[in-house]
This record gives sequence, structure tokens and C-alpha cells, in this order.
Amino acid sequence: MTLHLTEPRTGGAPAQSPESLKPAPRKSRRGSRPGGSSIDVQRKKLLIPFVGPAFVLYTVLFIVPALGAVWISLHKWAGSGPMKFVGLDNYGRIFRDQLFLSSFGNTLLLLFVVGTAIFVLAFALTLVLRDMAGKKIARNVIFFPHLINALVFGVLAGFIFNPGGIVNSLLAPLGVTDPPKWLAQDNIFPLIMVTLVCTTTGYFTTILMAGVDRIPPYYYEDCALAGASAFQRLRYVILPLTWDVFGTCAVLWTISSVKIFEIVWVFGGSSGAGVPPTQSWTAAVYTYVNAFSGQSTPAYGAATASAVLSLALISVLVVLLRRAMRRDAVEF
Amino acid sequence: MSEYKLQGTITAPRRRGRRGVSPALRGERSVVRGIGVALLWLVVVISIAALVWMVAQAFRDTRSILDDPWGVPTSLDFGNFVRAWTVGDFAVATWNSLLTTVVSSVLTVAIAAPCAYYLSRVDNRLTRGLSLYFILGLGIPAQVILIPLFVMLNKVYLTDSIIGLNLVYIGVSMPFTVFLLTAFFRSLPLEMEEAAALDGTTAFGTFWRITLPLAKGGILTAFILQVISHWNETLLALTLLQSTEKYTLPVALISFVQQQTYSGADWGGLFAGLVIVVLPMLIIYVWLGRRLTEGLTLGMGK
Repeated sequence: MTLHLTEPRTGGAPAQSPESLKPAPRKSRRGSRPGGSSIDVQRKKLLIPFVGPAFVLYTVLFIVPALGAVWISLHKWAGSGPMKFVGLDNYGRIFRDQLFLSSFGNTLLLLFVVGTAIFVLAFALTLVLRDMAGKKIARNVIFFPHLINALVFGVLAGFIFNPGGIVNSLLAPLGVTDPPKWLAQDNIFPLIMVTLVCTTTGYFTTILMAGVDRIPPYYYEDCALAGASAFQRLRYVILPLTWDVFGTCAVLWTISSVKIFEIVWVFGGSSGAGVPPTQSWTAAVYTYVNAFSGQSTPAYGAATASAVLSLALISVLVVLLRRAMRRDAVEF
Repeated sequence: MSEYKLQGTITAPRRRGRRGVSPALRGERSVVRGIGVALLWLVVVISIAALVWMVAQAFRDTRSILDDPWGVPTSLDFGNFVRAWTVGDFAVATWNSLLTTVVSSVLTVAIAAPCAYYLSRVDNRLTRGLSLYFILGLGIPAQVILIPLFVMLNKVYLTDSIIGLNLVYIGVSMPFTVFLLTAFFRSLPLEMEEAAALDGTTAFGTFWRITLPLAKGGILTAFILQVISHWNETLLALTLLQSTEKYTLPVALISFVQQQTYSGADWGGLFAGLVIVVLPMLIIYVWLGRRLTEGLTLGMGK
């Protein structure tokens, strides 16, 4: 179905006249090199019509804004009016801003603490699921939260942890007459962390399972014959053979945890002003509020500086992860 | 037929894994494992129950929800939906979300597929560089491009516009879609393309008449993954759209939540709103779930 819809846009030009398209000079030089079959030569001529649209859209709407962010972060700018070049001043300013430090700290908490919890749980679940009866059903169910907008969990949490909400009514028969104020400003962020662990673990379990499922069963049989304990099997078979999948998951979590925004924004229902309490801010929320909340003069410079720092954090971590996880790939 | 190779590589080992469990392995059961299995099923049951509970609450009015959160609806009362639909502006928002999601996902795949095909079939320094260039975008979080994008689109009057939002979604989705489809096209057999080429089919012809039909499965997977991410996208929509009649569902939901701090919580309407956001995802998942998880793990696990 999609195919029919898509075709006229992608292929219109080359369909009419693939021959008449004059390729870029570089291409033709490559094409005339001996050794390529004629289909390869022809294929190379498709560079502009095939790669062009994707390249242009991606560059204009993604790469240019990303570079623009670095540019804006070097200026003092309120969104309109003149931009004033201030060099690295914005970075110095946000590092002296208590609010930014706590927001960035929260992002780090999500990245490392929530990340660790998710990985331990997901790996444990993978081991349990590996040869469990009904594993497909279980896996399909725990994957589903990944498809739901995090807003939904934030709103539901507001209902569940209300003073008169479900949690307290469940605790009352257990003798808890004075339950903690779940949605007090200081308690929101820990609750967000717990919620994220609950809703994200299933996704990573699914990915890890795809890795564990690739391990041929005769390795396990060999373990059983050799009398390896469950721990030894884990240490010498499962872990080394799924190491690359772990690496991929770690990179995925690094990238996705730094942009967490929605769930913080509405968690427990908003606190009146439309902006969540500062104790629960993440770096992404800091960026958004500083630029668009309309509460104070927009500080585009500081806001983008915060975002650029998040990007730097991701880049450093991804490079480190690749280094740390790089081992000889085990072929099996 | 269309994706036999992919399916073969993905499902074959798994099937062997299940059938080939040797007796030596089957006997192993420990207490820890038993507890693990029990806990896992508990999680599964709670997840399903939570979903059912949420849908059930959407049919009850706010007072009875608050009085007894465990109750079941006494009648099929669509009042909450009607209220969310009219007061919460969910009608317009649903339409906007639907339009944006479908249009941007179709265009994303239509634009990314030829690009991915080229990158997967031509191997030289230029394409390797281009692949890297596209992968770069996978690591850039949305908040980085948020402000420059707003400024740029504002200059060309594309903020607060569904067209602008669509363009942004297409651009932002390029890295992942190109990446996924490149991996997919690589997994397809080359023989048929070569045979077609020998028969005198043009390069474009082999793509259009041989590879695309073969790749139908992968392209549908990419499309569904885009549908999911565009349906749920919040931060960019929240930034780029300002007027109520342009809101997409997540933005409408946020504004509905924020209205309630002034007008008192309308949990019935809120639950109805949540159901409108979640239900399409559930339908897609039940319908195409297997393809989805396979697509994700193909893109990620390798």
C-alpha cells in the first residue's frame, strides 16, 4: 500500500529518463573505470535522484539546526532583536546556575542510575524468559509500553499517587495511616525514575532477547555435559556472546535518556503554572523552559548551551562505550 | 517469498532453540528461577490489567472514579469521550495527529528508501561517508535542534503549521529510516537484480520492479515504526505549534491537563484522552506486532 502512495514522489524524474540524467562529473569518472558491470555504472548515476532528496531534507532540517545550535549558544539572544556575540559566556553562566546544575544532575541520574537498574532487570528478565513456557506472550506484553507516549504514564501517576489515590487506599489496610506525600516537589523525581524503570525495561529485554536467541542451543548442551553451573554458563557463554547487543543497548539508552522530556513535563499533573517543579527538571526541560515557557525573557543562548552540553555528553559517552565494549566479535 | 531471506535468518535459530532443548537442560529448575518466572508473570498480568483498567475508567464519570477507582463501568457511557472530543479539542487534535502521522511517515519512507537502496548497493568512499553522515543524526537529541529549528521555520512562516511540522518530522526521521532500510536492503539477495539487469532492465527498473517488491516487508516495518514515533512525538510539536486548532494529540493532552489545574480535575475526560492516545498504538501492535519487534531488533541488534 505504501509503495503505491510513495512512488510518484521518489521515482518521477528517474523513471522518465534515467539515461538522459547527466551524472555528476565525479560519478562518471568512477563509472568509466574498468571492472564495474553496466548495471553498477547505471546505478551510480542514480546518486542525485535517489540520495539527493533525503540528503537535502536531512541537512536542512537536522544538521543545519544542530550547527545553528552551537552558533546560537555563543550568543546572548532573546529570540528577537540583535544577537550579541559573547563567546563561551553562556556556558560559564549555566555552570554557575544552580538550576542548570540540578537539571543536568537529574539527567545524569536518569542516564546512570535508571540505566543500571534497567540493564540489571532486563538481563535478569532475559535469563528468565530464555526458555520459559509462553515466552512469546510475556515478551510481547512487556514490550508494549515502549509504544506508548510517556505522557500517559505521567498523567496516570498523578491519579495513582494522589493523596486520595489508589496507592494510599491500598496502603491503608496495611496500617500505613500517614503515607508519604508522593507528589511533593522533592518526591516527584524519584517517582519519575521508578516509573521509567518500569516502562523501559521491557523494550531492552526484547532487544537483549534477540541477542540471546541467536546463541545456538548446543552451547548450552555442552555446558550441561561439562557440568557448568548456571553462573559459569552465564559468565562464559551467554555474556560473551551477547556482548555486542549490550553495547548497542547502552548506546541506545544513552541517546534516549538524555532527551527525556514529556514524562517530566506532566508528571503527576502539572503544578499550576504549567511548568513542573524545578527539582524534577532534566536538561531537556531546562532548555525548553528557558526558551519557550514565556515566564521570563527567553534566553536562547543559555538554553542552547544546555542542549549542546547534552549533545557533548552523548558524544563522549558513545565514544567511551564503543571503546569499552570493543572486543573481538565472537563469531558463532 | 518477499522477505524469505530475512525471515530465515531471524526465525530459524529461534525455532531450533525451542525444539532442540536437550533433556539435560530441561531438567534444570531452581528456586530463584521459579521466583523469577512468577514475578515475570505478575508483571505481565499487572500490565494487561492496567491497560484494561484505564480503558474501563474512561467510561465512568469523575466522581465514581474517585469514589471507587476499582469499579467497573455500569454502562457504556461515551460522555467522557464526547467531552474530551469537544471541550478538550481532541477532535481537531486527533485529525491533525492522524494527518501528520500518515503524511510524514509515507513521505519519510518514500524519500529514505531510494537513498538507502543507493547506499546499500553502491560501495565507494562517497557512500561510506554518506552513511556515516546519516548515522550521525541518530545521536543528536531533539532539544539541540529545537531552538534553531523554531527560528528557521519562523523566518519562512512555517511555525504553527502542520506543513512545517510534517517537514520537521521527515527531516528528523531520516537518520533512523535510512539506517534501518540500508540494513534491510543489504539483507536481500542480489541474484534477482543481477538477472534482471542481464535481461536489460535499467538500474531504476531493478529498484522499482525487483527490489521494492522484495523489500515490501522491510518497508512496511519502517513505515510502522515512523507512524509510532510520529504519533507519540511531543517536544517538537509542543514547540512548533501554538494555536489550538493546530495541536496534535500529545499537545492537546498537555493543554487539557493544564486546564484542569484551574477547572478541577476531570479524570473521566482525562482517561478518555489517554485512551485516544494509546488505542491506535495497541491496534497497530496487535495487528503487526511481530514485524515490529523484528524490525527494531534488526535495526538495533546488529
